[in-house]
This record gives sequence, C-alpha cells and structure tokens, in this order.
Amino acid sequence: MIMEKKSVKILSAKQISIQNPLTEEWMDNPLSYSEDYVRAVDPDFKQFISAGDARRMGKLLKRALATSLSALQEGGIENPDAIITGTGFGSIENTELFLDALVREGEQLLKPTQFMQSTHNTASSLIGIHTKCHGYNSTYSQKGLSFDSALYDAWMQFRIGRIKSALVGSHDEMSPVFSGFVRKAGHVKEGEICSEAAVSVLMADGGDKAYCTLDGVRLLDSPSGMEIKDVIADMTAGGVDAVMTGMSGNAENDSWYGFLDDVLPGIPQLRYKPLFGVNFSSSATGFYAAACCLRDGRIPSVLTADAKPIECRKGILVVNVVEGRHYSFSILKAVCGR
Amino acid sequence: MSQDRSVLITGCGIVSAIGLDCGQVLDSLLSVRTGVGPLRYLKTEHTEFPVGEVKLSDEEMERMMGIAPGTPTTRTALMGMIALHEALGQAGLSRDDLRECGFVNGTTVGGMDRSEQYYLDFIENDSRNAYISTHDCGSCSEMIADRFGRFRMITTISTACSSAANAIEMAADMIRLGEADIVVAGGSECITKFHLNGFNSLMILDHSQCRPFDAERAGLNLGEGAAFVVLEEASHAAVRKAKALARLSGYGNACDAFHQTASSPDGEGAYLAMSKALKTAGLKPADIDYVNAHGTGTPNNDESESQAMMRVFGKDLPPVSSTKGMTGHTTSASGAIETVICILALRNGFLPVNYGFSNPMENGIIPNMDLNRGCRLRHVLCNSFGFGGNDSSLVISAVE
Repeated sequence: MIMEKKSVKILSAKQISIQNPLTEEWMDNPLSYSEDYVRAVDPDFKQFISAGDARRMGKLLKRALATSLSALQEGGIENPDAIITGTGFGSIENTELFLDALVREGEQLLKPTQFMQSTHNTASSLIGIHTKCHGYNSTYSQKGLSFDSALYDAWMQFRIGRIKSALVGSHDEMSPVFSGFVRKAGHVKEGEICSEAAVSVLMADGGDKAYCTLDGVRLLDSPSGMEIKDVIADMTAGGVDAVMTGMSGNAENDSWYGFLDDVLPGIPQLRYKPLFGVNFSSSATGFYAAACCLRDGRIPSVLTADAKPIECRKGILVVNVVEGRHYSFSILKAVCGR
Repeated sequence: MSQDRSVLITGCGIVSAIGLDCGQVLDSLLSVRTGVGPLRYLKTEHTEFPVGEVKLSDEEMERMMGIAPGTPTTRTALMGMIALHEALGQAGLSRDDLRECGFVNGTTVGGMDRSEQYYLDFIENDSRNAYISTHDCGSCSEMIADRFGRFRMITTISTACSSAANAIEMAADMIRLGEADIVVAGGSECITKFHLNGFNSLMILDHSQCRPFDAERAGLNLGEGAAFVVLEEASHAAVRKAKALARLSGYGNACDAFHQTASSPDGEGAYLAMSKALKTAGLKPADIDYVNAHGTGTPNNDESESQAMMRVFGKDLPPVSSTKGMTGHTTSASGAIETVICILALRNGFLPVNYGFSNPMENGIIPNMDLNRGCRLRHVLCNSFGFGGNDSSLVISAVE
C-alpha cells in the first residue's frame, strides 16, 4: 500500500573508511592525517570472504561485501528484500588497469575480470549473489549524490509497499592515478583529503533494536531558496539536535551550506568530511555518522564546530550539496523512548 | 493520496543504428532493415566485429544540437541530447516546464569514449582536463539534461544493460508516489573501445551479423544509441491536454543472484522480473500480445531467457522477438530503445521481426518473423537484463 507518511528503522550501519573499520572508534579516538590522499583502513577480510574469492575481487568489492555482511549480521536479517547501492566511479582500480592496458598495450590481451569489475553494479550484484537475494536490486551513479539517490529509491520502495527491508550502501575506492584526476576535475578541493569509503546501512519496517528512524528523503536540482526553506521546515517540524553538513573547510564547498544559518538559526552544524575525507560516497559516511550519534544519544566533539559534545535526543537533518546544485535532504529521528 | 496514479507515456525520442528519430526507426522496423554493419566511426583494431553504430559523427551531432565546437561533450551525451530533444518536443514540454519534471538517466559507459582517447593526457599534461569531468556517469546525465534547462532533480542508474529499464521503473515509482507528475527517463550509451574489448575478452561478440534465438547464434553485436520517454501522471496529462502514446502498466526488477556475467540455466531472475511486471499490471500471461525479448544472441542469454519465458507463459507464449539484430545491443540504452520500439509497434499495429533468425534452437522459443501488419496489440512486455543478473521487465499497454 502506498503511504503518505512513513518511518523506516535503521537497524545497523557499518563503514570502512580512513577511520578504523567496522567500529565507531572515530567518535572518541579519531585517526588524523596530514596527507591529502589517504586510502581506507581495511579490516581482516578473512571473516567475510574466502581467500580464493578475495583474490578475484578488487578493494571496492571486498569492502562492500564486508560492510554489507556486518550490517546484515548486526541487524539480524539474512536476506534483505532490496539491495540498493551507490557508487560514483565503481571499481575504479580495475577500470584503470583495463583502460591503461588498452591505451598503452593495444587491444589484444585485455582481462575479462577487470572489465567485469569496471561495471558499476558489480557490488550490488555480488551482495545479491552472496546473500542469494532475488529481490529488487539497483545501483546509482550520480557523483557525490550516488548514496543519496540509492537512499531515495529505498525510501520509495518502502513507501510503495514493495519491501520490508533494504540494504542500502555506497562504495568508492580511489587509485593513486585517479586521485590526481579528481583533483584536476575539482571533485576533491584544496584542503580536502581525497579518500575512500564503503558504507552499508540496513533498514527495515520493524525491529526491536534500531539506531534511529528515517523519516524522509528529498533530492532537488538547483532549488530556490523558498523550496529549500519549505523542505527543511517540513522535515525538521519535530525538532532536531543538529544538522549534518558536507562542509569540509574548503571555502567554495562550505559556501554552498550558507543557507543553513538563515533556515536553521541556532542549530549546530556538524562536519564529517574532515574525519572521513572526500569521495563520491562521502555523503554515506555523513549519514552513517548521524545514525551512530542518534544510536548513542550523543554527538561527539569531533563532529561539532566548537569541539564540544552535544546531546542527541531528537533528530539530525542530513544535508548534502554537490557542486552547488544537487541538494539532498534526509531526516533521521531518535527512536521513541530512548 | 490517490492509489491509482496511473503512468502514461506522453513523449518519446530515439536515436539508434536504425534511425535518428521515431519516424526513421518505425520505417526501418517496417522494412526489416538492419543498422548493423562494418565499423565506421569507432577507431579500433577490432574491425572484424559488425556493430550497430548511430550514423552520425560526433561533429554532426554537435551541429544538430547547436553546440559550439570545442565544448567538452561525449558521444553518449550527444546522442542523449538528440533523443531527449525529440521526447520533450513530442510531449510539448518547454524549458520552464522542466522545473517540475524529474530526470532519470541510465548509462554505464558514461564518458569512457573520451577517457580512452585522452587518458595519457590526463596523466601527462593539463590539455584535456575538461574531459576528466565528463568521465563519470552522472556528468553524462547532467550534460544531456542541462542542454534543455534545469529539471527538478537528476539522477543516474548504472546497472549495465538494464540501466534504462530501471530508470523507467524508478521514474514510474516517483509518479505513483506523487514525488513528481512528470519524470523523463531512459538511457544513452555510445560504443567505446573499452566495452567492445571488454565484451570481446568475455568472448560474447559474434563475428557475423548476430542471430538471436538461432541455433547457430554465436554472440552479440554491440550497438549504440539513446532513448527517452516522458512519463506523466494521467490526470496531469489530461489537464495539460497532452496526448498519451501508451501506458506503463506494470514493471518488475529482480536479481538472478547467480553469476556476475552469466544467466542462470532456468532464468530465475528473468522469470521473477516478468512475473512481477505482470502482477503489478494486474494482467495474466495470456493478456500479453508481444514480448520484446532481451535476446542478445549470446548462447547463454537466449537459452536462459527462453526457459524463463516458457516458465512464465507456458502454452500461451505470445509472439516474441529480439530487435537487437537490427539495432545491435545498445547496452545501457537498450531498455529505453526497446520501450520506444514497443510503443511504435503498439501504435502502428505490427510485430517487430527477429532479424537474423533462421534455425530454431534446441529447447528455445521460436521468434516472430512475420510483421503481421494491422494486428491489434493491447499489452506488450519488454525485457532488459544486465550483468550481475540484473533483470527488469516493463509492461506497456495501448491507450484507448
């Protein structure tokens, strides 16, 4: 049945990033970096993948599988009804190997495994194959809006009544060569760490133990100030503790969030990009961080502008602005009675 | 909210090897003319493979779209612009109208045609940096959309050869949920050396004209193109007095969950996708008058899809054809290209022919070889299956 209003429970959220993997150690003991290109800290994959399988998989696939299986395990769901994934570049390392061989060595000895992994939906498919899930399966690739698009689709699948659970993730890896390219293209800016991230979030219609609830997702291209105001007013009607922003410290990027001072005066503006770096999946790290804050009822000082922790009992609005034009808004709320 | 926000198609646009607009494509389908032939535009060592190229150079497309020479574009984006231009025109949507419309594009190759050309420049100098920004899938969608104005939202689906079908499904969900009254959806993909070589490394390219569902089939021919459909909520279209071309009455997506590049022997994912599409349309298998099969011409796909269709339809198997013998396999765009072909068949009363077929395969379906002009089609099913067992089916119905 199609529902006008809907609330979906976030049962678990897992990350592999430039912070310690599959844990929330970053909340109190974050890793900090002086380099401007940092690769993810990988967990021991042996608990998730056999050595034989792991040899055939690029980093993105291994991380996607590890975060997915951890999220499913914690959330107590083996076979989600839907698997929806975001990725800006897909498995860029294998793409690069194939492309490099094609350009430098010609068109005779190219490797099918590299080509297969260059296809963006390989992660969604791998998770489907591994969990034997025949349900809804999709992949979004819209730059830094990839996770947000996957989340929006999942939100619609719940509202339309097609699913009762979904594994939503976003995964991007970054090779040394492409880290140079994304700097040239301005996808990662001055002062930002070019990074990698794999995030998986398990959500469901019900469940006793939840981090928080998801109560709305909106995507807008080039909205007017009035449209932004209306969306935010609607989403934050029940009150929020803070807004999770994509501010990174780069002046151009941060100027895109200037409207928050007017629309949500006095609401603390949080930053996750200094902790997790910047890549096409970085909005997923912000969403994950917000869900963890609501689970624990506290926003650690590493996320706040004044380096003071904040109580987190109501909700967090997650705002992502890509290239100053694509806006995504999602609202996470504390579970009642927490 | 109304439970019955039905989804009409009020515009379509297409660019493919068999024509640069709906009229040309219709003419080719009715004349059973293939667009597959020797390579002409792509510069590759693999001249042995026939392909379904769009018969325009990049420069010709730029001129058609009024794009100044030197502006960074990609072939995928250019083809997408031409198809979107036709779709918006047919639906009577102006630049201002787009502010209320969503845009969902399907592509996987994105700007790889430029990246494979300028890769060494990206590494060694700054002469082609503008093309780094056109590499990813999302930028391709932006280039296509921005040519016509600013949509309400843009996103990109990248599920390989089912991308455009999934884009149409997502767009339909947005309309059914009241997220938008109009969403333009489809896909675009040019042939690149990258995926020509990729498919070659997987040994699934036919060295001759492809032969879907034929006993001697030996692989696919790559094609290219773009197509978009304007999906519109029925009452919105009525108020706007927009002419409905067809109705998207059902759709389904399922995962074969079998293998990254091969389909399961019993076609489980395809079976589930078709079954879901019929169920959401509220139709029985016997209600379907024609199936536009995925039918790539690879031994594996056509066998698996045959099994799935026989499971769904049993004794009621309607006429089935793959149009990839004429268009080539247009990969991420194929779901939209074949949706437009289905709409043309519905509106003009004919059954597209399975070009390239001559000998029935063992345990397979026998595809349609008769145009059957003047037939009346009520409901047709359109299949798109991608790598990773990403299977999608659409039900497209005639409007009274």
